[in-house]
Amino acid sequence: MYACKKDPHMLSRRASLYLVAPAILLLGLLFLYPLSFSLLWSFRDEETGGWGLQNFIKAFSLYSNDILFTLIIVTLSTTVIGLLSVAIGGYLTLGENRVALALLRWLYRWPLFIPFVVAAQLMRTFLAKNGMMNNIFVSTGLLEPLQAASFLDWRGIVITFVWKQTPFVALLVAGAMASLDRSTIEAARNLGAGRLRILVGIVVPQVGTTLVVGLILSYVVMMSVLSVPLMLNAQTPTMMTVDMAWRINAYSDYGVANALGFVSYAMTAVIAWFYLRQGVREGGKPA
Amino acid sequence: MTSKIASLFASAALTLIASGAAQAENVLNVASGGSQNMVDYVTDYLGPLFEEQNPGWSVKVVGTGPGNSGSQAILEKLKAQSGNDAWDTDVIVTTQLKTGEMVTEGLLQNFVADIDTGALATRDTSKSALGVDVTGFVMPMFHSQTAIAYNPDLVATPPASFDELKTWTADHKGAFGYNGIKNGMSGVAFTAAWMYAYSGQTEQLMNGPYDAELKNSWDAALDDLKAFNKNITFTPGNAGTLDMLNRGEIVMGPVWVDMFYTWQADGRLNPGLKLTLPEPGMPGQPYYYAIPAKAEHADAARKFIALATSPDVQAEGIVKRFNWYPGIDAQHVEGSMAKADWDKLFTDVTPADLAAKGQPFPLAPFFDDIREAYEMKVSN
Amino acid sequence: MNLLRTCLTGALLALLAFAIFGPITNMLVWSVAETWYYPAKLPQSYGFSFWERVFRPQGNAMESLVNSVVIAVLTVIASLAVAIPAGLALGRGSLPWRSLFLLIFLLPQAFPSIAVHMNIARIFYGFGLNGTFLGVVLVHTIQGLVFSVWIATAAFSAVDRELEEAAANMGASPFTVFRSVTLPLALPGLMASAIFVFLISLDEFTGTFFVGVPDITTMPLLLFTASMEGNYQIASITALILLVPSVGFMLFIERFLKSDVLAKVGS
Repeated sequence: MYACKKDPHMLSRRASLYLVAPAILLLGLLFLYPLSFSLLWSFRDEETGGWGLQNFIKAFSLYSNDILFTLIIVTLSTTVIGLLSVAIGGYLTLGENRVALALLRWLYRWPLFIPFVVAAQLMRTFLAKNGMMNNIFVSTGLLEPLQAASFLDWRGIVITFVWKQTPFVALLVAGAMASLDRSTIEAARNLGAGRLRILVGIVVPQVGTTLVVGLILSYVVMMSVLSVPLMLNAQTPTMMTVDMAWRINAYSDYGVANALGFVSYAMTAVIAWFYLRQGVREGGKPA
Repeated sequence: MTSKIASLFASAALTLIASGAAQAENVLNVASGGSQNMVDYVTDYLGPLFEEQNPGWSVKVVGTGPGNSGSQAILEKLKAQSGNDAWDTDVIVTTQLKTGEMVTEGLLQNFVADIDTGALATRDTSKSALGVDVTGFVMPMFHSQTAIAYNPDLVATPPASFDELKTWTADHKGAFGYNGIKNGMSGVAFTAAWMYAYSGQTEQLMNGPYDAELKNSWDAALDDLKAFNKNITFTPGNAGTLDMLNRGEIVMGPVWVDMFYTWQADGRLNPGLKLTLPEPGMPGQPYYYAIPAKAEHADAARKFIALATSPDVQAEGIVKRFNWYPGIDAQHVEGSMAKADWDKLFTDVTPADLAAKGQPFPLAPFFDDIREAYEMKVSN
Repeated sequence: MNLLRTCLTGALLALLAFAIFGPITNMLVWSVAETWYYPAKLPQSYGFSFWERVFRPQGNAMESLVNSVVIAVLTVIASLAVAIPAGLALGRGSLPWRSLFLLIFLLPQAFPSIAVHMNIARIFYGFGLNGTFLGVVLVHTIQGLVFSVWIATAAFSAVDRELEEAAANMGASPFTVFRSVTLPLALPGLMASAIFVFLISLDEFTGTFFVGVPDITTMPLLLFTASMEGNYQIASITALILLVPSVGFMLFIERFLKSDVLAKVGS
């Protein structure tokens, strides 16, 4: 049993602080500093130099529909992602058909590392009125040519978000489910419970935290995506990120853009608080 | 693994250095707003022509995007460097609205008197940009016009006026498309044309005087437009409208005449589509050549613009290859061209049409009011 | 009953395969299409002329590709330079308020980053960093910071202490221990973090949209511009080029990181 006072391979406090300093410095300069400016400048009237709520008033008068739209779209996408991930994770944990399991495991991860901008381009030609999806449906007789509709509106955005984020959350959830103690599942099985019941009653509650963390992360990410609504949704209303980029690029109007940013922070604030609280719990555990 | 990464980095760095070394000769930096066809104009035609005539020079062009936002990017670029002695851009190509703002902010230099083609552009547009006096600061690159493109197979009689357009779109929901006011000026042009048709103050909007209270009288026209928008499909931009026309997703929409003809020539647009100009007309605009106040290579910039606005280049490049109306006065260009090539520009939109129904964009402050009113009352 | 269930499973899997590979196939078709008019369901003519347009030396596309790769490599270097010490301190050091530090690194993931990027661009204008390589690399480094720091921390804390102690007991100095025991053992994790950051940088769009434009074009920006201009061939080719490293990494990582480990990596 070693009782060294000075552990030679354990870094001292001071050394540790020095080592972590560059990262903290970078974070502070390139994230916390602009973040605080963003929050601050949303209250500043650029033209008169005063402070107040003018930017927020203007933002709401111009973009209230878009703010609501963003909230609905992102919430809807998150819900669908949650359902699909639980379904995929559930099947991977409780499924019995070996071929299906192997196929699913191989299949669902493909969109995982595809960036949003690429996914948007993929969907742009796939979901168009005369895009491949409709063409295939028409060729197989599932759809009349006249019925073919363009999905390049809010549905395209939701589809792309779900397409891209589900593998990520499913991966997390499947991993968490895989490390569960099988005994509870076996016990329920022996009692004759159906698989769906086991999934909903036993498995999901135990992986609840991981699921929620994955969904929160997806929510925050989706709130910030610019490429997808820009490339897919020409209609109004559109997502707030498009409006923020528009205010900056067309008018150099940092006031209103930052006000919109503040609103998006507020929308994620409640959500983010949960995430950070969870992070503290996990971060505090011995690694 | 590490050595592989290291060698990749090394070769990338070497490529960069090599290409940098190759450009150790003089480089003329051009920043161009507008759609891709305007950047292609410099990359494929004007740039190589200049390089041929001026050995030792190479032309580098950067596209900043269509609409006023593309030109706003150039304005900000110049403003950010205002403290420096030499700026990194030598020639800019920008919209009227933003060029006017740049002149007001003192970001451009007066050069027209110093080039020999300076006297060839005498239209109003070479002196005034939406009400801002820009004499001597700009040479028009081209004049363009918007019109409504339609598919004659599916639209037997195109609407001849905005009223007819309203009824047509009510009967054919989703068949008309435009891009709102984002991502391209064709949609902005349509909105301006709408205001010209329904605001009741067409003359004042175009020529002034500016009245800040005027926008309060626009509610009827704006509500009308909002209702109109419910019957149409939005497109992603200038190119988006053309693309959707081509793919049969819409059958009618406002387009830039030059982009229309260029896309047809390129095989990217159905050759059967046609153009029409409804009453009371639709706007057009020039894009301006200008030289930043502290451009590093101002002399070469002058040569470049003189070349670009010479009758031969305007005939061959602007009119023949890229289907724009010339920036300098038409009589200087028409003579250098084969009649067939000249007439091609006027197949669907005749000179008479242009004279009667080609309009300028509204005065700058009105223009801003219209755009803001659109966002507040129409799209919200 | 079993047959019905199998059929249902099969149908669902087929649907999933269509949903995932349909768009990808469409993109592949577009990347080799020359002309494709409505109402044809498939291109009228195929060819590689657009590939030639993308890869010609004087074209902007080649420049974007080089820019993207150079920026990504520089980002990885910057990231590792910062994350290795931080990971060491968090994983093996004795930091006070360790959980607070870890928490701070989570922050970029907790806020929609677009607003931060807009303001970084404005701040950079003041320093003349907008539209420069350095500016873009800095923005990309921050994007990847969470992943690089958390993975590095996990990698370092997974190193078996007994091995280190053994080396120390044999008389090795702390630095030698680090160099010969800790670092090599943590290397796979660090490699994973490097590749992660490389991909994040390669695919980064929003930050470059505000900070790099108009001077620096990267592949994602090229894709965006080509797509908005209706040039689907070039957009699809660019998408394909961006897809290859992503899919490659996914296949690579399946061999090295099991899903439950990934699940633990900070999420």
